[in-house]
Amino acid sequence: MNNPWTTESLFEALRSDPSADLKAADLRLVGGVDPTLNIVLHEHGDLTLHLAVSGEQIFVSTPLCRGSQVKDRNAFNDACLRLNPLNPLSNLGLQSAGGEDIYIVFGELSSRSPLPAVIEEIHVLADNTLQAAEAFADHLK
Amino acid sequence: MASIFTKIITLFRGAAHEAGSAVVDANAMRILDQEVRDAQTALLRARDDLAKIMAQRKIAADKLADKQAKQNEYGNYIREALSRDNRALAQEVAVKLAQIEADVATDGKVIAEYDASISKLQASSRQAETVISRLKQQIDTVKATESVQRAQAALAAQHAGTGAKLGTALDSLERIKLRQTERAAQLQVAEELAAATGEDTDLHRRLAQAGIVPGEASADSILARFEAQQPKALTHDPAPQLGQSVGAASKTS
Repeated sequence: MNNPWTTESLFEALRSDPSADLKAADLRLVGGVDPTLNIVLHEHGDLTLHLAVSGEQIFVSTPLCRGSQVKDRNAFNDACLRLNPLNPLSNLGLQSAGGEDIYIVFGELSSRSPLPAVIEEIHVLADNTLQAAEAFADHLK
Repeated sequence: MASIFTKIITLFRGAAHEAGSAVVDANAMRILDQEVRDAQTALLRARDDLAKIMAQRKIAADKLADKQAKQNEYGNYIREALSRDNRALAQEVAVKLAQIEADVATDGKVIAEYDASISKLQASSRQAETVISRLKQQIDTVKATESVQRAQAALAAQHAGTGAKLGTALDSLERIKLRQTERAAQLQVAEELAAATGEDTDLHRRLAQAGIVPGEASADSILARFEAQQPKALTHDPAPQLGQSVGAASKTS
């Protein structure tokens, strides 16, 4: 609790903690200097979460949909902004990856958070993302 | 803080027409770095100023203490002179004391001003420290976001060759629905199978009851069959005949 997590130490902790409750998940550490933890949740339809720790923050993010999958971007942005305050612990955002717009659902927490809080964040983020995807079905192609 | 957001948002607006987010991230980091440096410079300056003013205040306070000592001393002289009925001398000292008391009042004001400056500088140091820690947090966020974005871009690139794209929640939803459908189908098949087996068992049981197929409790009929095969055996019991006819029936069916 006193020492902040790094991406590596969090990876080890999640992998080896018997109470981690991430049995139905693939954990993979990718990248070199600033590695990212990829978490594939099988019980959430193989939803892939990306987690990175930097200094005082843990950032967990998952792609909601591609910009190209949205029927009306303005209407969708509006809907996202309206949903965001109702979404507990997670935020909706827009980023570019690989040259295309990706809507993401993400959460941030302190890198001094205890392991159960990190695990809860992972589960809540996955649940919220699937619920958001379902709620936005009308907006998506 | 607001000015930083303005700068970053301006960057996004510019980048919409340009290569992409890498430029924005690099520039966002540069802006944040610059802000941290500015805030740190401001903090150092505030601390320098604070040190100088605190030194000046100490000098002024020491001088004031000297003057206050003199004020007491001259007061004592006046009292002493008056007690000896030397009013002229007391008058002379009183003129000097008037000057000292004026100085003490002025110095007191100067020190109060120093104190005000000191608390202002301490407040702005604290503020600068807060700004710096917030900026550092923001830098952490940008860095973490950056590594995650890199990972997502790498995933997107990995799938680029195969025609597949970076998996999103929509794909996961599809997968979940597909799995649910599959599971439902499996469940249905299993149920049908179970029902079919159940029907067979029931039919078989009823056939056996009717004596059309051999039932479980066919020890009697087995014995009867053996008895029937015995050439010398008497066949007064109707059961073996039934057993034989059952065997014939099941063979022909």
